[in-house]
Amino acid sequence: MSGIIEIRKIPRSRWRRKLSSERAFDSFLQLAMLTGTLLLWEWLSTALHAEFWVSRPSSVAQAMLVWARSGNLASDLKLTLTEAGIGFLIGSLAGAIVGFLLGWVDRLGRLFEPLVLSLYTLPKVALAPLFVLWFGIGPLNKIMFSALLVFFMVFFTTFQGTRQVDRDLVANARLLGASPMSIWFKIAIPFAAVWVFTGIRIGLPYALIGAIVGEFVAADSGVGFRIKEATSFFDTSAVFAGLIVLMAISMVLLGLLKLIELRLMRWQNPGDIITTEIGA
Amino acid sequence: MSSMVSNPRLEVPTTAAPDMARENLIHFDAVTAKFGQLHAMGPTTLSVRRGEFVAIVGPSGCGKSTLLNMVAGTLRPSSGSVHYDGQQVAGPNSDVGYITQKNYCVPWRTVEGNVRMPMEFRGVARAEMDERVKYALAQVGLTGFERAYPKQLSGGMLQRVMIARTLAYGPSVYLMDEPFGSLDAQLRTRMHAKLLEIWQKTQATFVFVTHDLQEAITLADRVVVMSRRPGCPKLVVDINLPRPRDVVDIQADPAFGAYVKQLWHALDVD
Ligand SMILES: Nc1ncnc2c1ncn2[C@@H]1O[C@H](COP(=O)(O)OP(=O)(O)O)[C@@H](O)[C@H]1O
Ligand SMILES: [Mg+2]
Repeated sequence: MSGIIEIRKIPRSRWRRKLSSERAFDSFLQLAMLTGTLLLWEWLSTALHAEFWVSRPSSVAQAMLVWARSGNLASDLKLTLTEAGIGFLIGSLAGAIVGFLLGWVDRLGRLFEPLVLSLYTLPKVALAPLFVLWFGIGPLNKIMFSALLVFFMVFFTTFQGTRQVDRDLVANARLLGASPMSIWFKIAIPFAAVWVFTGIRIGLPYALIGAIVGEFVAADSGVGFRIKEATSFFDTSAVFAGLIVLMAISMVLLGLLKLIELRLMRWQNPGDIITTEIGA
Repeated sequence: MSSMVSNPRLEVPTTAAPDMARENLIHFDAVTAKFGQLHAMGPTTLSVRRGEFVAIVGPSGCGKSTLLNMVAGTLRPSSGSVHYDGQQVAGPNSDVGYITQKNYCVPWRTVEGNVRMPMEFRGVARAEMDERVKYALAQVGLTGFERAYPKQLSGGMLQRVMIARTLAYGPSVYLMDEPFGSLDAQLRTRMHAKLLEIWQKTQATFVFVTHDLQEAITLADRVVVMSRRPGCPKLVVDINLPRPRDVVDIQADPAFGAYVKQLWHALDVD
């Protein structure tokens, strides 16, 4: 008996080429839509005299330039990113560990289920003022708030996912000779890792939300503070400049996450289905 | 050649004496299984000798899988006892290789990694592990698929990964629960030949559950027919066909046909 690998045959080069030309065209379309939107925005806001409400791209660019020139953009960005980053690390680590433990150890899961359920629907943003009380108005407050939001996202996902582990798989591993230690390290943790990753992907944007909301509530610098300050001065252009900075950060973060996931979770999307014929 | 088991208690002593334990690797003693109100199996008394190939057939739901679960120690009898190698089975029995239709591959490991896993659990040396993985995959015709992930494989291939995995760590008893159900007829026949070869080579004990009479007769030294639920051994037939067997030619043996007929009636007149 010998296995003959026969990857599903598709005239690969041809449809790859077709695909890549389609992709190139799509990118072009996206760029065109973006430019169109910006032009339309510029034109409409001038034509309708709505600049006070929606600003316009050229003013936003100018506001951005002013922000950058003052040196505040760099320091605001640095502060907000640091808060969100540290909050993210703390929140996802704690969420992963607690979610895993409650999800894996049935007894703990049952014990804490009422608490978990009652926290699930609680609007976490409502805790922001309390955090000012606890952690002051400095960066620690934003870090903790950001950590809290990320914690819940990672925790819930990991908890729900890890709970679904097939108990038969564990029983089978015991028959295969696995010690409790091996079951933790070779079955439980790899299994949970998938869900931790899912949780992290969902939770990442919340790190930023946490920092920004924290800055909205009480701060003297940071991207969130700048947006709030600009709003109080009715400086719509500066508000939009802040929003665009946030969008840019989000996109960079998501790209980063995708990269990590692709490397670590190759098995989830390993490529073609293999069909086989067994040679006699 | 065959013996009606009118009172199973009479056939084997109720307590496994030391000399019995030496010869009998597995001994079920008046074992029953109840799941709540459902009386699923028994009382069953049955012994499996060391190195024997026993096949168990019977209508579905009569407790065949239940019997295997008890040997594996994943299920406790409601009454009676199961002895393995002279010891009462009290918890997961890692001496067994348990192959069911269910796929227990972990999706984050490659084929090779999955086959390796039980050997890692058992602390087999790395070099030996590599060698055994290679051998086991070759035995089931999966050479060349070492790097594939479970997601990429068909059901029949995953089933063969399960077999390779068991083969690689070399348990002293193979519990097989309809293991070839997902394979096509041709591959099934090949696996029969392979299984007999493995059995002969390893001298392991096989308890093989199937609903396919031909399969049972082809492989086994002894076929146990279970009655309808609550199931218990109704007929035990010694298969006196010559060994080593050719899994194709043997079906043409007139004695083979006679066994099929005999077992078929036992199953049917339930
Ligand atoms: N864990 C369980 N809980 C409840 N009922 C079960 C369980 N395991 C088996 N049964 C029931 O016991 C009976 C025998 O099951 P099984 O041994 O799987 O039969 P089979 O001979 O088809 O392998 C069936 O009716 C099945 O539904
Ligand atoms: Mg069954």
